[in-house]
Amino acid sequence: MALPMIREIFTQLFRTPATNQFPARHLPKSVTEFLKKVGSGEARMIPPVATPPAFRGKIQYDRDGCIGCKLCLKVCPAHAIEFIPETKRVRIYVASCIFCGQCNDICPKHVLTMSDEFLLATEDRFAENQIVE
Amino acid sequence: MLTVILQTVAAAVAFSVIGIVVGLFLLGIDRRISARMQARIGPILIQPFYDIRKLFSKDNIVPENAIPSIFHAAPIVALASSIIVLLYLPIGSMMPILGGYGDLILVMYLLAVPSLAMVAGGFASGSPYATVGSQREMVSMIAYELPLASAVIAIAWLLYSSGISDPFTLQAIVENPVWTLVGPIGFIGLVVLMLTLAWVTPAELSKIPFDSPEAETELAGGLLVEYSGKNLGLFTVAQGVKTLVMGGLAVAIFFPWNISPLLGLSSYAALAVDAVFFFLKVVLLMIISVTAIRTGLARFRITHVVTIFWVYLGLAGLLGLSLIILDSVVMGVL
Amino acid sequence: MSDEMKKKPYVVPIGPIHPALKEPVQFLFEMEGEVVKKADFAPGQTHRGIEWMGMRRNPVQIVHLTDRICGICGVTHSLSFARAVEQIVDIEVPARADYIRVIIAELERIQSHLLWAGVAAHELGFDTLFYLAWRVREDSLDVIENITGNRINYGLVQIGGVRRDITPEQHPVIHKCLDGYRDLLGKMLNLFLHDTTISIRCKDTGKLSFEEALHLCTVGPTARASGVVKDVRVDYPYAAYGDLDITPILPSAYGGEINGDVYDRIVVRLLEIEQSIGIIETCLKEMPEGGIIWEPKLPKLLAACKKAHGEAIGRHEAPRGECTHYVAMDGNEAPAMWKVKASSYSNLHSWIPMLEGEQLADVPIIVASIDPCLSCTDRVAVVRGNSSDLLTKEDLHRLSVEKTRRIQGC
Ligand code: SF4
Ligand code: SF4
Repeated sequence: MALPMIREIFTQLFRTPATNQFPARHLPKSVTEFLKKVGSGEARMIPPVATPPAFRGKIQYDRDGCIGCKLCLKVCPAHAIEFIPETKRVRIYVASCIFCGQCNDICPKHVLTMSDEFLLATEDRFAENQIVE
Repeated sequence: MLTVILQTVAAAVAFSVIGIVVGLFLLGIDRRISARMQARIGPILIQPFYDIRKLFSKDNIVPENAIPSIFHAAPIVALASSIIVLLYLPIGSMMPILGGYGDLILVMYLLAVPSLAMVAGGFASGSPYATVGSQREMVSMIAYELPLASAVIAIAWLLYSSGISDPFTLQAIVENPVWTLVGPIGFIGLVVLMLTLAWVTPAELSKIPFDSPEAETELAGGLLVEYSGKNLGLFTVAQGVKTLVMGGLAVAIFFPWNISPLLGLSSYAALAVDAVFFFLKVVLLMIISVTAIRTGLARFRITHVVTIFWVYLGLAGLLGLSLIILDSVVMGVL
Repeated sequence: MSDEMKKKPYVVPIGPIHPALKEPVQFLFEMEGEVVKKADFAPGQTHRGIEWMGMRRNPVQIVHLTDRICGICGVTHSLSFARAVEQIVDIEVPARADYIRVIIAELERIQSHLLWAGVAAHELGFDTLFYLAWRVREDSLDVIENITGNRINYGLVQIGGVRRDITPEQHPVIHKCLDGYRDLLGKMLNLFLHDTTISIRCKDTGKLSFEEALHLCTVGPTARASGVVKDVRVDYPYAAYGDLDITPILPSAYGGEINGDVYDRIVVRLLEIEQSIGIIETCLKEMPEGGIIWEPKLPKLLAACKKAHGEAIGRHEAPRGECTHYVAMDGNEAPAMWKVKASSYSNLHSWIPMLEGEQLADVPIIVASIDPCLSCTDRVAVVRGNSSDLLTKEDLHRLSVEKTRRIQGC
């Protein structure tokens, strides 16, 4: 009877766990409270696993450079981009965006870019940070 | 007489409460250590208490084609019988409360009751998963009874042949550590018996690799599948108490020594220190024979469970028994 | 347990939602005691209408939709789809892009097989091994994230090439991960193949004979574990696979006979991880310089696709076996037809011979052993009113004849 795992679990027992304790060691009573405290410097947040250089996170839009050519609308698979005729600018709904970055590739002015921000979970699809314009 | 009864009842109630708390702690330790073995952090030690609080705040859901009376009785019987066994256990230097009213044989039977209650509850749930789970539980109960019985008989026989009166009481076992009664051959026999019991423990507690009656990935919880809320909470508490009982039994039989004589303590201090020491021994045994095994092995099929207990461990139990008998024969000749 | 009770056949349903199933599918087992006498299953519980969405989008958009057909095979579907469109539009993919496609496809195979190994361990009740496999899987996901910008939905393949190059700075990152896996592989093989509790559960369990594997048209590791030498990368080389020296892996590569049981499927998948490591290393070494995409200007690419007429099939050896995409374009932005056949579709039917006669306890591991990917497979759900119809082969034939007549206008 060979049980190679038994040896493995006892070596494991004396090592530090592999878990990344993001954002805190134990679930805070209220996450919003905790984040507020982190913002004011009262609490410390254990950072998430670092993102690589060309990570595709929340979309960024440089409104002033945009020429309103609507090319980004043409390739967006998720129909996450809306064209506002009055201002000739676009509005991106992050809740619909699938982070493909295809609009970045086609934009002739390179005004659309992907940031490394990924903590975007929310209950409100139309919250302020869910709309980029 | 009346005061004796009252005292016993009061002690029993106190013991039950302590037993439940300690049992739940044991579950917490088990989960934590198992998590560390898997390179996880694991829940805090008092997580089982939170779980129980949550379960008790929920309603019982009774399936339509269940037999409600049996369905509801099963968890209560399981918990009650586990607690009763606890009252037969010597804890540290404290003698068992019910020590005078039964012996090891009774304890063995009582140990089977929680499992039987679960089987009854499973059959009464009216779910095919629970039915399959109950059938498997019955099969595995029959399977591990052979090695368990041979170990118990061996130890009683050892005490009997050493001329100790009441060889079947736990008190006698604790007062005469088995290791001191044997020669070299019997020592090997005792080691074999100890290892056998170490494998019976996870089966008795329905843990991996012997958890085929519950088998999450096959039967979705098996005989417990229809249980929820308070009833499931009762089963969890019973599981905790049972873990304590199994650990305590092993400690009583194989590691009955206390630490207070070494420290030169007496009276209440000795009782407390010994109780803590007893608990530590139980934790250590549990980690080795439950946590490590359930973390380091895959689940057996029910057919494997039967083969393992009837053939391998059954033989091991009988081997231990014969070695002990042989030992006393040899010793008797010398 | 009385004999009568044991003998009476009873039905155990598993699914559509059950802890043993990672995705919805329904099984019905007729049991005798613990033994499965008859097995049946009903897929189609998780149809999402992706093809419908695709037929309303242009190929550049669809590429990202294909990424999301499967949560594990990110590149499989986009590569198959892109290859179909490239054939229709007559696009020549730059050689460097072909190598990058192979690298990412093999990284995907590594992470997919590790994921499967973890799931298999979990089905066996061996959660420790499950955690271990998924923990080491993270390394490959990190490398994939580094190359493509995302862990799961890579978005790397584009019609006519790839969207991102592999820069010299990324080479050490990839090599470090591969070396780590090389070291680890011995340990994984030991933990999976030499653990008694695993081998008694997996050996001679869920057997699929060579003939059955052939007749049921199984693909990928499921077929190879039964001794069928079948691998799209070798049989119909595409991308850079033609330049590489690959032999399909059979369980006999680990010594011993080919049984076609669950154990053999573990062997094949673990050894394929090793094979993929070698392939990636070769590709990194031999990758030619040059462009990575046929037409970097996307509007031009879209215009070229819009003009194209024709139909084609793109295929790729996914971690689970051959995956095909059929695309037909008729001069519109969106394709006229897009049909996906995921690898699991070919493998599902092997469940029946594998499951019948086995113990109920082994159902989860047998079901998992073909590495089923059901949401990728479910393409049709026929529901009319409140009743769902089952279409037989004859019905389907009649319907397609009728449709052809209709199109021909007669
Ligand atoms: S990243 Fe993709 S989904 Fe998001 S807005 Fe751009 S094109 Fe649309
Ligand atoms: S493609 Fe770029 S420039 Fe054109 S509308 Fe979109 S954001 Fe503006």
